[in-house]
Amino acid sequence: MKKYIKFLTLLFAATFLTQCTGDFNDINVNPSGFTSDEVSGKFFLTGPQVRLYAPDRFPYWRAHLIHGDRYAGHFTFGFSGCWWSDGLGYSYSSAYTDASWGWLSGYIGGLDNYMKLVQAGGEFDNPYMHAIGTIMRGLYFQMYTDIFGMIPYSEAVDADITLPKYDDQKSIYAGIIAELDEAIATIGDAEKTGANVDDVGENDLYYGGDLQKWKKLANSLKLRMGMRALGAQGADFAESAITSALSSGVLEAEGDNCLLEKDITISQWGSATYGDVYYNFGRGSDWKVGKTLIDNLRNFDDPRLEMYADPAPGGVVTITKPDGTEAALHQKRLDFIYQTLDDAGAEYTTETVEDVTTITMAEETYYIGQPTRINGETNPYVAYEFWSKPDERVIRRKNTNEIFPEIVFTTAEAYFLRAEAAVRGLGTDDAQEMYQKGIEQSMKLWNVADADIGKFLSDSPMAQLTGSQEEMIEKIAIQRWINNYTDGFEAWAIVRDYGYPKELAEGVADFDIYAPGDINGKYPQRMRYGNQALNTNGANVNTAISVQGADQQDTKLWWAK
Amino acid sequence: MKLKPINTISLGCCILLALGIVFLPHSLAAAGETYANLLEKEITITGSVQDTDGNPLIGVNITVQGTGIGTITDLDGSYTLAVPDDAKALVFSYTGFGIQTISIGTQRVIDVTMEFGTALDEVVVTAIGISREKKALSYSITEIGSDEISTVKDHNAVNSLVGKVSGVVISQGTGGPGAGSRIVIRGNNSITSNNQPLIVVDGMPIDASGSNSGGSVYNSNVSGGGITDINPDDIESISVLKGPNAAALYGSRASNGVLLITTKKGMARNGLGVSFNSNITFDNPMFLPEYQNEYGQGTGQNVPANITDLKSASSSWGPRLDGSSQLYYTGEQRPYSAQPDNVENFFRTAAKIVNTVALEGGDQRYNARFSYTNNKTEAVLPNSDLNSHNFTLRSQLSLTDRLSLDAKATYFTQELNNKVSQGSEGIMAYLYYTPRNVDIEDLKTYQIPSESLDAVSYSSLGANPYWLLQHDRNYNRREKLLSFAKLQYEFTPWLSAFVRIGTDVTNIKGESITQPGHHFNKPGGLSASNSRNMETNADFLLMLNKDVTSKVNLSVNLGGNASHRTGENVRFTSSDFKIPTRPILANTRENQPFYTPLTEKKVNSVYGSASISYDGFAYLDITGRNDWSSTLPEQNRSYFYPSVGVSLLLNRFIDPNSKTFNMIKVRGNYAEVGNDTDPYQLNTLYFVAQDGYLGRTTLSRDNVRKSESLRPESINSLEFGLEFRFLKNRAFADFSWYKIASEDLIYDVPVPAATGFGAFRENIGRMTNTGIELLVGGSPVRTNNFNWDIALNFSKNSNELEELVEDLESHTLNTTNSGNVAIRATVGGGYGDIYGTTWRTNDQGQVIVNANGIPLASTDRTLLGNAQPDWIGGLTNTVTYKGVSLRFLIDARIGGQVYSATNAALDGSGSSVESLQFREGGTVVDGVVEMDDGTFVQNTTSITAQQYWGAHSGIGANYVFDQDNIRLREFVLGYTLPTSLLSNSFLQGASIGIIGRNLFFLKKDITHVDPEASLGTGNNGMGILSANLPTLRSLGVNISLRF
Repeated sequence: MKKYIKFLTLLFAATFLTQCTGDFNDINVNPSGFTSDEVSGKFFLTGPQVRLYAPDRFPYWRAHLIHGDRYAGHFTFGFSGCWWSDGLGYSYSSAYTDASWGWLSGYIGGLDNYMKLVQAGGEFDNPYMHAIGTIMRGLYFQMYTDIFGMIPYSEAVDADITLPKYDDQKSIYAGIIAELDEAIATIGDAEKTGANVDDVGENDLYYGGDLQKWKKLANSLKLRMGMRALGAQGADFAESAITSALSSGVLEAEGDNCLLEKDITISQWGSATYGDVYYNFGRGSDWKVGKTLIDNLRNFDDPRLEMYADPAPGGVVTITKPDGTEAALHQKRLDFIYQTLDDAGAEYTTETVEDVTTITMAEETYYIGQPTRINGETNPYVAYEFWSKPDERVIRRKNTNEIFPEIVFTTAEAYFLRAEAAVRGLGTDDAQEMYQKGIEQSMKLWNVADADIGKFLSDSPMAQLTGSQEEMIEKIAIQRWINNYTDGFEAWAIVRDYGYPKELAEGVADFDIYAPGDINGKYPQRMRYGNQALNTNGANVNTAISVQGADQQDTKLWWAK
Repeated sequence: MKLKPINTISLGCCILLALGIVFLPHSLAAAGETYANLLEKEITITGSVQDTDGNPLIGVNITVQGTGIGTITDLDGSYTLAVPDDAKALVFSYTGFGIQTISIGTQRVIDVTMEFGTALDEVVVTAIGISREKKALSYSITEIGSDEISTVKDHNAVNSLVGKVSGVVISQGTGGPGAGSRIVIRGNNSITSNNQPLIVVDGMPIDASGSNSGGSVYNSNVSGGGITDINPDDIESISVLKGPNAAALYGSRASNGVLLITTKKGMARNGLGVSFNSNITFDNPMFLPEYQNEYGQGTGQNVPANITDLKSASSSWGPRLDGSSQLYYTGEQRPYSAQPDNVENFFRTAAKIVNTVALEGGDQRYNARFSYTNNKTEAVLPNSDLNSHNFTLRSQLSLTDRLSLDAKATYFTQELNNKVSQGSEGIMAYLYYTPRNVDIEDLKTYQIPSESLDAVSYSSLGANPYWLLQHDRNYNRREKLLSFAKLQYEFTPWLSAFVRIGTDVTNIKGESITQPGHHFNKPGGLSASNSRNMETNADFLLMLNKDVTSKVNLSVNLGGNASHRTGENVRFTSSDFKIPTRPILANTRENQPFYTPLTEKKVNSVYGSASISYDGFAYLDITGRNDWSSTLPEQNRSYFYPSVGVSLLLNRFIDPNSKTFNMIKVRGNYAEVGNDTDPYQLNTLYFVAQDGYLGRTTLSRDNVRKSESLRPESINSLEFGLEFRFLKNRAFADFSWYKIASEDLIYDVPVPAATGFGAFRENIGRMTNTGIELLVGGSPVRTNNFNWDIALNFSKNSNELEELVEDLESHTLNTTNSGNVAIRATVGGGYGDIYGTTWRTNDQGQVIVNANGIPLASTDRTLLGNAQPDWIGGLTNTVTYKGVSLRFLIDARIGGQVYSATNAALDGSGSSVESLQFREGGTVVDGVVEMDDGTFVQNTTSITAQQYWGAHSGIGANYVFDQDNIRLREFVLGYTLPTSLLSNSFLQGASIGIIGRNLFFLKKDITHVDPEASLGTGNNGMGILSANLPTLRSLGVNISLRF
């Protein structure tokens, strides 16, 4: 018994002895977390590079696909059997908007962390790495402000400011261009960020640490922003930005394309692909390619057509005349479908027995784009079988084969911008040459055979930059818009900036067929601010609204007015 | 009032050590004393117990003072008890009759008359396990006995407290078997942290992981944890310590109150005691939504002519169900007619069988009790059930005259198969809105394996509840080992001490499989996790109780506790099966493992209390506690908090002869409690991504800016009370008022993302809870054979978030899928404010419709209600006639609102009776259309019912309902067999009861659903209902046998 008591005493004493506060500091440090002295600056660059163009499924789907690609008119929902109406996104949804805002506004934390670590006096002080970060900031802020308008820029990521103000777009554009100038100057003739751990190397997914390519990217971005600002109120910096970018050198070679290779094995919650959405939900989660895009490719015999999309499945479709109030619009909607199929050159037969119309169309034969913004009542007429879906390379499932990369900035885009500059009398380039080089680079990006490229450039009227200045601008805008397929946010900005393709920019008016959304059929000009912004920084958001205009999707941005 | 840290870091362990070791040598010395003769002579005492009117009292507890030896009186009020010949006195206790202690002397027959209502001497278990006379307490405490917990058995013992304890809001988890409940005592004190009470079992705090679970509006899986791991049959009593005042001695974790559970012990008795308890109940949905049966699947009053379009139109917006031959989702032509019971037929009558066998025995030196309980509970859904086993061994041993050992070990294991998830992607979401003409029998063909593994259903979505039940395998196993050993030593009759060590190890294994073909996860996936939480507490207490003069009594307790909590977790999630038929890990293409190294938290504490009483009518209590927590930064690690309380019995001055009043008591108490946080909350670190993009090493920073200067949270509470007993103790009333303020809350302040962070962690804010509680009751009738007892409780709490942080108006706790409703804590408002959209209106208040005549939603969300009830109450009636007793409980929850996404979806899908409106001819919404020039003209465009209800169901305000409901919660009809019937049998006692729960509503405002259902037990679980499991009505029998 004595032993027993002793044992308990020991147990008790031991428990209390080990319980002194001596180890309290040690046990309260998370062993899964690293401190800066264990790691290197380059490891912080990769995440921000991925997250801006290939974020996890939540924003990939809610921001990129629902808003960017659909506002761009590239992709459409709302066919019969689709989970989502094609009015989605045109009517404000706080959940989808908040996800988009949450992703873009929250993006800066990771990049800023990298910037602070590599800045002068930071843990991994490296001016070249800092210059790369600065160019990333440019890519980010341009995308972010072009979606929402006024956003926090000058007071963002300032450790002393908890409630940063919202800057107007003109200041943001001017600010980014100045930052890009700084990065371009810092890079100068340098080729690498350093040796060994100081070389960003393979952690730089865009250019593998090639600083000269980064410099070309900085100039190309400057050129894009200068061009977008050109003509906007008070954009006195635009012209010099364009000319200095052109003289310093933009993306020129096929190898200059700034692309983000897709990781085809990573979890969709690490980084998503279109296929993560397309295949997970069955046919209901499929989507189709927009009519305007298909028309612009098919009508000009553009060889990118079969790279971008597949022929419509075709087959037999039955449509029944509804009872009730919708019956009156039955024939109108049927006629709308016939017209769309006719316009696409599709051949089909129809047979109507009592209230049931049967439409038969050859399988896998015609490229037909689905009209955008179809309303819910017209949905049963817009059968799955009628429309082209995106090409397999775009929507391919993970763990199978190569997936088309994310577009950061293409060489083709740089050529189209040079063509526009030439049309506007800026710089020394030849507009037609630049325009054709743009088309050529764009087609190469999609693996179009050289012979087909040559044929298109020589034969297609679309490849000839002729006509009035406005007609030339229209062609360049449409080619840029086609080239930015799968980069919906940039393509949408092009439509807003130039008003082309007209069919999209004019919006919709016939609400028997189309969904008016919250904006009475008008083309969306921006996305609304997320509730997170109103909840955390309401006063500054309201100030921004008073300057910029109502927080609605149809309020035009500074450069689109 | 801010807490003032004591800046002597090492003080904690030094005091602990000093105090801990001071009296251990005494224990060792004591152990040297010879163990007394085990077989002492016994004497037998008999007698009977009756009340003042001469009625026999049945079930009176009789124990030998200072021992565990005892028995109870039989139906005739008589007893026989063998006692050691050195026994000094017998203690008689009986609920409502107080306690009487009678010296034995040379008596061999002791008859006792007990007076009803002498509960003045009632003793309750208070913090740290100290038994106190209830009249001396300066705060409110409620104790619930075993019969109220184990008769109308619920898997979760806490559900048996609903309606019985004032100030406690229990929201029962509706997640099927194994689901926990949310318990909130005197309101929510924290914005984002735990708001539920600490669970203490036999003095040892237990791990409660899993008790804040669910809440997702998409897919909410409500688990249990903490109290759900405790076998209701083992519970002797539950003391509810309400908030800081009663619980100050428990420190940090007790700021939300404590449920103090005392489990059963063995008793000295003649021979082996065997008891058997069997409880069989049958569950059915209490009620289901009210469906329309006039219109079937389709759209625009039309049945689409092909399968694709028919499946796209998965709601009941088709034409009138006229029995005509129409296309059915299976591809056949079927008579187009209603299936009124298609939802009801999905459910089964679920049996719940709980069997307990207990063995006990012992003498005055040693006693032991062993019990085994098996619980098999079916869910009302097919292929879903729970099976648990509970083994408990409790022993008490007198090592010497002065040294005793008390030890217990409990092993609990529970397997849950296919726990049902709730929310918009839960199983009910694919059942409740089934088109009215779809036969549920057809859905049993959920797959056509020769064609595809995909689910087959009436909708293009492909969701089929049977497919989900058969293929979404969900397995959960909890194991808990709970044990302690306690050595107590009596130095002198007025000074004793104990040391105790106890451990709780909880292992949770979870496995969930989504097989290929799932309607929105075609490739399928598999995830599994194994987590282990352990909590070890070592403590000691030195107890002094001495009469200083004839009128002054002093009681002092000094103690210390060292708490060590650890957690570890391994899990993996993998997806995309290579070969679709076999859901195993090696067969998946993507796999992500996660491993959490051991997480540790230590808290050292010293505490003390002093109570002084004067002449049995004035009592003063003082307590103090200092904690050292490893989770706080070094400079703020140590914090002290006190409490002080006074209790005065004024009846001797006001009504000295007890003509009317037997007791008039006033009490007041002020207490403070500090609170720490979780481990790893101080340093901002970098984390490496396991699946770096394209194999690259990638690092990222925390999204929360941590703070190295966090302070403990502070909660203070003021309480006043007034208690009366009158009319010869036949009636009583107890009134409390309290105000609890929590300040310096550790909170992740959401900041604009442009700062580079999502949130800054800071000490901020102030939240208050103010409330009143009232308990009245008595015995209106007491006659020879017939008694009627009644008790009514009422409590009202109002919560206010007084400040959050500058420029931050609210914290969002949860939002619906579409974002049309958000549950928030708002400054100036309360915890759980419901904000939602309304119809969009112009400046004149006219509803705005679009060009198609469809009304629109407002752009912003307005305050529509609050999820906390205004007041709750319960009325318990117990009527006994000879051996027959009838008890029923009616409880009420009044005020407070809830948003029901279920009701919205029933309307939107055309399933509800409400959706019959406007079916024929449509409606013209009384609203205006906005012209391009900003003017408004009256709307004249007609819309269909489908369009109207489509718009209506999207508006938050249309589906915010009052929670008001009053229901018959519990019903027990019991019969105890008279001893005379059993005298010639081997049985010593037998009783049988017919029991019921959730029988019917006396009042309910909301249609279709139960306003008390919830999506979860965490802070985000309140205020939103979405495709919850139906509330269950249980009916059954309880059989209790003693051998």
